[in-house]
Amino acid sequence: MADPHLTKGIFHTLWHHFVRTAQSYHGRPIFVLFCGDKDAEGRSWCPDCVTAEPIVRKELHNLPDESVFIYCLVGDRPYWKDPNNEFRKNLKLTGVPTLLKYGTPQKLVEEECFKAELVRMLFTED
Amino acid sequence: MAFDMSQVKELFRSIGVEYYALELDATDDGASIQQVLVELTNQRTVPNVFVNGTHIGGCDATYQAYQDGSLQKLLGDNQITEPYEYDLIIIGGGSGGLACSKEAATLGKKVMVLDYVVPTPLGTSWGLGGTCVNVGCIPKKLMHQAALLGQALQDSRKYGWQYEEQVKHNWEIMVEAIQNYIGSLNWGYRVSLREKSVTYLNSYGEFVEPHKIKATNRKGQVTYHTAETFVLATGERPRYLGIPGDKEFCITSDDLFSLPYCPGKTLVVGASYVALECAGFLAGLGLDVTVMVRSILLRGFDQEMAEKVGAYMETHGVKFVRKFVPVQVEQLEQGMPGRLKVTAKSTEGSEIFAEEYNTVLIAIGRDACTRNIGLQTIGVKINEKNGKVPVNDEEQTNVPYVYAIGDILDGKLELTPVAIQAGRLLAQRLYGGSSRKCDYINVPTTVFTPLEYGSCGYPEEKAMEEYGKQNLEVYHTLFWPLEWTVAGRDNNTCYAKIICNKQDNNRVIGLHVLGPNAGEVTQGFAAAIKCGLTKELLDETIGIHPTCAEVFTTMDITKSSGQDITQKGC
Repeated sequence: MADPHLTKGIFHTLWHHFVRTAQSYHGRPIFVLFCGDKDAEGRSWCPDCVTAEPIVRKELHNLPDESVFIYCLVGDRPYWKDPNNEFRKNLKLTGVPTLLKYGTPQKLVEEECFKAELVRMLFTED
Repeated sequence: MAFDMSQVKELFRSIGVEYYALELDATDDGASIQQVLVELTNQRTVPNVFVNGTHIGGCDATYQAYQDGSLQKLLGDNQITEPYEYDLIIIGGGSGGLACSKEAATLGKKVMVLDYVVPTPLGTSWGLGGTCVNVGCIPKKLMHQAALLGQALQDSRKYGWQYEEQVKHNWEIMVEAIQNYIGSLNWGYRVSLREKSVTYLNSYGEFVEPHKIKATNRKGQVTYHTAETFVLATGERPRYLGIPGDKEFCITSDDLFSLPYCPGKTLVVGASYVALECAGFLAGLGLDVTVMVRSILLRGFDQEMAEKVGAYMETHGVKFVRKFVPVQVEQLEQGMPGRLKVTAKSTEGSEIFAEEYNTVLIAIGRDACTRNIGLQTIGVKINEKNGKVPVNDEEQTNVPYVYAIGDILDGKLELTPVAIQAGRLLAQRLYGGSSRKCDYINVPTTVFTPLEYGSCGYPEEKAMEEYGKQNLEVYHTLFWPLEWTVAGRDNNTCYAKIICNKQDNNRVIGLHVLGPNAGEVTQGFAAAIKCGLTKELLDETIGIHPTCAEVFTTMDITKSSGQDITQKGC
């Protein structure tokens, strides 16, 4: 990996980019899937994210009208493990993958994301 | 008689059962058949109903058998009903209902939970989890904690903390944080039910027929569901005063914990633990609080302790207006909060009390939600006076396939852990082959007033009634928590007592403590009492120093000795 300070800078931008994106959709229900970064071959360092992604994608058609789905990468493994990273500090994320409804306490963490019916419940019920 | 005859025929027709009707007045042998019937069944009247050879009785008896399911059993289940959709349907998704449903599902049963919150007169509603999670124990304890932190900030200066700012409290920040936490609990229950494959309906459930309920959701859509067994766990809601302006202008605990604006100058009507706990933390947050009490404080609790709880509140900023009842609430000005004028009458004369408040909180008691769920349709008896459901020691109602748990039980304790325990054990008895029953004896509780009161076992009055004053020895002491010394807080206020049965080895049958962290202090002693704690065992137990709880290990002054318990030193 490149110079760690530079790397931190890139991910710092990632967090702000996420916040700006979410804010631009203010007023609509926003669902976010947080996953570990993918390498050049498109595989994530997080095996649970690899499992969860297709399951979540299959339920996307259940998203309510007007809602927005954001797919957000939280950085490489060392950045994610750092307890001070922005996602942990500001969103209280404790694990990846995390699928949540932004601005509400409703979320699914890690193996909960493997269960299609829980994903469907998150998308469809209030 | 003819009417009864056709009622019975109609019943069988409605459930699709073929019957043979022998009309006695149309038979030559009518009279002698009637005589034989009397000998066989002790019944002279008609209709006289037999099912598969078993005598049921007349019209009323046949309807009763239909309502309680015994008729269907005699007919053989498959003959008149399809198999039930669920093994178990639970009406009410609170502490009891959820515990029961999860246990039953874990034991492999097909379970449905219905939970529906009828909005308060002011429109407040909440999510899955029942009273405790949404408008009871959880937000209450968090607000109590907010108030305690305020007190701690005051104490902190004595411990050397120096800061310039005047510390103020922001109601909205507190409510948002608490509601966020509650929201995560609501969601957690949804996930937990889904993971256990329990069907959850956010619908109002009511019985329409034996074994069948109608479920109506928020949008008015109706579905029907059947089950072999039902559990009533509908809980209670706050009672109103029944005076002009109560529902229009007053709030209850149902509204308080999500109130989007600070309640301001508040009148709390009532002397229940809900009233005193709410008055306590509101005052602790800096609000002007008055409690209006009709007669005694904390009915049902040890009255010596109740008066001490009240006395502490009174010396710490809570005003009490005793022996008055409100007769009218008028709105002087709308707003968040608005201005209300309360008029009250003395219970002992013609004196009138009138005062202006921003908020009036009614906490005079809670009523069971049993009157509008179709119980009369299926014959489940309730206590007409209080709406509660009488059950046997296995939580079964008078209708064998209907059980009840939690706050709605007649004569049982209204506590979350009791409901949870009852719900779990019920499921284990129904589906897990267990025979363990819920133990309602020596259940510990704590009232989270500004000075907390924890207890387990008998209040002193009840112990005297049950055992006789001469057969009891009461040990007691005042104590001064170490943390209060430097802070300059009251000595000779915290108090502990134990009630011992002299005829049973000085068995501890009642334990009471008024002091900080009373809940934490009491919990362990409840287990000891379950093990048959005696005064001697307590004396043999070495205390942890310095704590409040250790006072129980060194109590040697009895009430009967008349000795002074005022503390001088350490």
